[in-house]
Formats: sequence, C-alpha cells, structure tokens
Amino acid sequence: MIHFVEYVLRGALAGAIYALLAAPMSLLFATARTIDFAVGAYALIAAAVAATIGGIAGAEAGLAAAMLSAAIMSLIFVGLKRLGCEDGIVFALASFGLSAVIESFVLWYWGARSFIVSYVAASWSLGGIRLDQQGLFNLLIAAIVVVILHVVVRHSSLGRMMRASAVNAVGATLAAIPVEGLQMGVYLAGGLLAGLAGLLVLYSAGIDFTAPLGLTLSGFGAAIVFGVGSPLRCLFGGIAMGVAQALASGYLSEALSAMTPFLFILLVLSMRPADTEALAGGRP
Amino acid sequence: MNLRMLRALAICVGAVAMIAGSARAQDAPVKIGAVLSLSGPAAVFGIPERDAIQAIVAKMSSTTKGGRKFEISFYDDKSNPTEATRAVNQAINDKVVAIVGPSTGSGILAAGPIAQRLSTPLIGPAGTLAITDPKNEFYPWIFRAAPSDASDVRAILQDMAKGNAKKVGIFYQEDAYGKTGVDLAREVGPSLGLNVVETASAPYTATDLTAQATKLRNAGAQAVFLQISIAALGSSFVKAARQVGLSVPIYANAGLAQRSFAENVGNEVEGLRIVSIGNLPYDPTPGEAELAKMLEAAGKQPQGWGELTGSNALMAALGAIDRQKGKDITGASMRETLESLCDFDKFARGRVCYSAKDHDGWHEDALVITEVRNKQFRSVP
Repeated sequence: MIHFVEYVLRGALAGAIYALLAAPMSLLFATARTIDFAVGAYALIAAAVAATIGGIAGAEAGLAAAMLSAAIMSLIFVGLKRLGCEDGIVFALASFGLSAVIESFVLWYWGARSFIVSYVAASWSLGGIRLDQQGLFNLLIAAIVVVILHVVVRHSSLGRMMRASAVNAVGATLAAIPVEGLQMGVYLAGGLLAGLAGLLVLYSAGIDFTAPLGLTLSGFGAAIVFGVGSPLRCLFGGIAMGVAQALASGYLSEALSAMTPFLFILLVLSMRPADTEALAGGRP
Repeated sequence: MNLRMLRALAICVGAVAMIAGSARAQDAPVKIGAVLSLSGPAAVFGIPERDAIQAIVAKMSSTTKGGRKFEISFYDDKSNPTEATRAVNQAINDKVVAIVGPSTGSGILAAGPIAQRLSTPLIGPAGTLAITDPKNEFYPWIFRAAPSDASDVRAILQDMAKGNAKKVGIFYQEDAYGKTGVDLAREVGPSLGLNVVETASAPYTATDLTAQATKLRNAGAQAVFLQISIAALGSSFVKAARQVGLSVPIYANAGLAQRSFAENVGNEVEGLRIVSIGNLPYDPTPGEAELAKMLEAAGKQPQGWGELTGSNALMAALGAIDRQKGKDITGASMRETLESLCDFDKFARGRVCYSAKDHDGWHEDALVITEVRNKQFRSVP
C-alpha cells in the first residue's frame, strides 16, 4: 500500500508541470477558441536562455524570451485574422509551425546540447516517503497560478470579456471589447506561463531541443482530459496525467506504461459527448 | 592514305582520347556523401560527426594522404529513416562513390536496399547490431564505423561485474536504442553473474523519473545500468534516484558520454561510470588529441565520441580511396576495397580490419571505461 501511495504522490508532483503547460492552452481556448501548440517550444527557449545566462537574471531573460516567442505567435494570429481566417484549427497549425522554427533555432544557436541546471533540492520525508522540495515547489507554483487564472477567467470583468470574445467575437467588438488586443494579451500570458514551466523543468529534470512536442502533448492531454475551458480543470488534469503515468511506470510493463496516460485520456474523453462545448468542459 | 592507315590512325586517336579521359577522371575529385542527422533527436550525434568531418577536410585541404583530391557533400537525414533514404538517393544521384552515414541505425537499415541497388557503400557511424547482420540482402554494402551496441554493453557490464552487485536494474529510453540495450544486457548479464531484476523506461521528454527510480529501488537493485542517449534524461534519472533513496552504483552505456552531460550535472553523478568510444574531450590518446586540435582550429569544442565515429567513417573512405591509386574509383570498387581494408590512418583507438565476414571492423579495443569526476570523464585504467 505504501508503494501505491508513493507512486500517487510522485505522480501528483510530476503533474504540476503538465498543469502549467495546460493553463495557457485553456486560457487561449477560453478567449479565442484555438490552441497554442507552441507552448513546449516557449518552455524550451525559456530554459535555454535561463541556463545560458544563469541566476535570477537568466530566469528573467528566459521568461522574456518565451514571451517574445509568444508575441511572434500573436502577430501571426492577428496576421491570419486580417487575411480573413477565422478557423481555430488554422491558428493551431500555425503554432505547430512556429514550434518547429523555435526548435530549429535552439538547435542552430546552442547545438544539440542538453540544458541542465545542477541543483538538487533537499528532501522531506512524509510517512517514510522522501519528497524533494523542488517537486513540492513546482506543485505549489502550479496551484497558485491556476487558481489565479481561474479567478480571473471566471470571476472578473476581464474574464467575462475574454469569454465573450470567444463565444461571439463580433458581438464582443460591438460591445466595445478590444477582442484582438485581448487575444494577443492572452498569447503573451501563455508565453509567460509556458516559460515558467520551462524554468521548472530546467531546475527539476533538464531539457533539450527534442522536448517541445512531448511537452506540448503532455500539456494538451492535461488540458483536455477534464475540459479545456477551465484552468482549474487543467490542474486536476495535469495531476491525473502525472498519477496515471507514475502508476503505469510502477506497476505495468514498459510497453504498456508508455501508452497508459494517453489511453487514460482516451477513456475519459470517450465517456463524454463529443462536441466543442463538451470538450471545453461545458454542457453539450 | 589508304583505308588501313586511316583505321590505324583512328585507333591511335581513340586510345589517346581514352588515356586522356582516364587521366582527367583520376584528376577529378572523388565525391563522398555525408548523410548525417543534422536535425531531429539524433542531431546530438550527427552534428559532432559533421564537425569532425569538416575539420578533417579543412586540415587535409581536401586531399588524401596519397594525394587524391576529394570533395564532401552533406545531406540532412533529419533523424528520420524516410529522409535518410531520400538523402542517400540524392547523394548517389550526385555521383558520390561512398556515403558516410546515415547517422542512425534505423536510417542505415532503411537506406541499405538503395545502397545495394545503386552499388554505393554506406559507412555507418552507428552501433545498431542489425546494420551488419549477414542475413541482410544489402549486407555487402554496409560497413560500420563504430563498435557495435553489443561491444558497448559487454564492456560496461564487465566493469559492473567487477563490483559486488549481482542484482541489476535497468533504466532505458523508449526507442530502438533503449530497447536494444535492455535485450543485450539480459543476454550478456547472466554470463557475467549479473541478474536483471527490474527494468523501467521513459520517453525522451519525461520531466520526472522518480516513479521509475522508485520501481528499481523497490526491486532491490544493487546497481543500475542506464541505456540512454539524452543527457537531460540521464541527469534527471540520477537526481531522481538520489531523491528516492536509490543509492547504488550507476553505470551507463556510451550514449551518455557527452560533454554536456558531464559538465552540467551536479555532484550526484560523481563516480558514475560510462563506457565511451575514446575520450576525446578529457583523456585523449595522441590520435584523439590530434583530432581535438583540428576541431579547436575549426572553432569547435570536442564534445564526445560523435566526432570520433564521424572521423572513423571518413578515414575509412579516404583509406579505401588511397588503396586504389591510379584506378578509376566507383561505388563497386570502393565496396571491394573497404572489404579488405585494414590498419588505415585514423584518430580513434583500437585496431580496425574489415573483411568479407566482418563488416563491423571496430571492436571493444576502441572503447574506454570512464568515470565522472569533477564534471569530467576520466578514463579508468
């Protein structure tokens, strides 16, 4: 039993990173009904810059680099909109393209090296289970960020404007809501959050240029598992993904453990009606 | 001038033209292709391979030791077997007589049939066992430029067997490289008195490996073998092992013998043992030091064994060219020459001899056991 509890705890700590990557996806979906698949790349560029410069200044520069990358995505978004594109899937595909560009830039500029920060946090013992402070810190950060986002999206006038922009952009514009500005701002905030996730990955595990797709898929899984429309659900989704992964790694053969988290997502999604609102976590 | 004289004159003119043409062919640079992983996950090896080749070509002024001009064209296989096939096809269309690469075993296996069909040998800097399996139809056209995975695993497990550990846990990355290492360790381990008690794996991009470390700890592993080529994954596992109380000796296969791993990890990896193809960055042999100097002259910092395997492949190709002095060189003649090539100029340690029955060439004497000390790989005597 103690082993089971240990896997659950370790999975919950690991899921914090997924939640942080899922949060920007949720935020953007709540505002523009699209997904930014470049969040893994923002995390990578933040980690690369932070590891290169080092210290607090490095972390700040890393977050700035992630936001700059997200700013480019927001300009692409606006550019496509000005060209008459309104389909969320086009913006999502464009973000895949940007992700590949950022990944290639990191490979060109830094080479194939891994970004690792030599930092081992002290451990705390909880009923005989050793948990490192960095993992607990990651979970705390993820929880704080997600709760703040939840309050903003669900219980503030800014959140109402964001949701109005997503539901009816024309109506929102007629109601004097700066739809385009809001959406660009959300892209920037997403870059900041993904950059933060990148820094936590850097200090926890390390990262290299191959990471963006895997991080994005993990974040996407966490975002959609309980409904992409709410940041709070992203936290639970991230933790659920982490726990599913840890339990699979602990108890199943390697062949099964690799696919289990995604089977878990498939199972949860298959139990819900399949339309956009259901995916968003709302009523079908 | 009668008809007989005219015929004799025509024959003389034809003969002169043939000799002149042949001389021109021998003056023309011999074309070699380099199909390497310059992007994608295997770029961690492909880029150092390219850097070494460029540094050597610059140092040799594109002329072999025997005085033959050569030129190298690079192609990116994007760490993708399909792209490797396309790139090999393109290189052969560009009239190369031999190809260094592709960088990955899967790329070589995919491109092998094309190399066979178009009669151009591949000199692959990969450890994947299957590339030189004599059962492959394209076996005659593939030569290895690095010790095989079997040599690597045997060398590191032999070192592990010198310690007290009998129960071994294995952590590996979820790809062909990882799975091959596990299978080989299960095969080789028992003959060395090592019993694999548990295995755990993770994808390249895992951000937390404490569950995997916990699994090996719970199985009572007395030593851990890492079959990983992603430095971040190796660092993450060692951190996780220390966090969950898995305080046992850790050994790693050659994939982790990368400068970025040694220099960026913390004290938790002190004492970790890694098998490596040479020790270019830290304890080089005279030959390795020469290559390191060339790299530095080209503005590159020696990273690990990627440069050595790239140089091995190039030097084998150049060795084969020099063995064909005064002859027209074709893909088929390169293959025939490579198959009897032995003791050619190179930078890596170990004796290399290819033969019709041995397309591996490189064996365990090209390897060295290293230990991480003060953020460096120090060779273990």
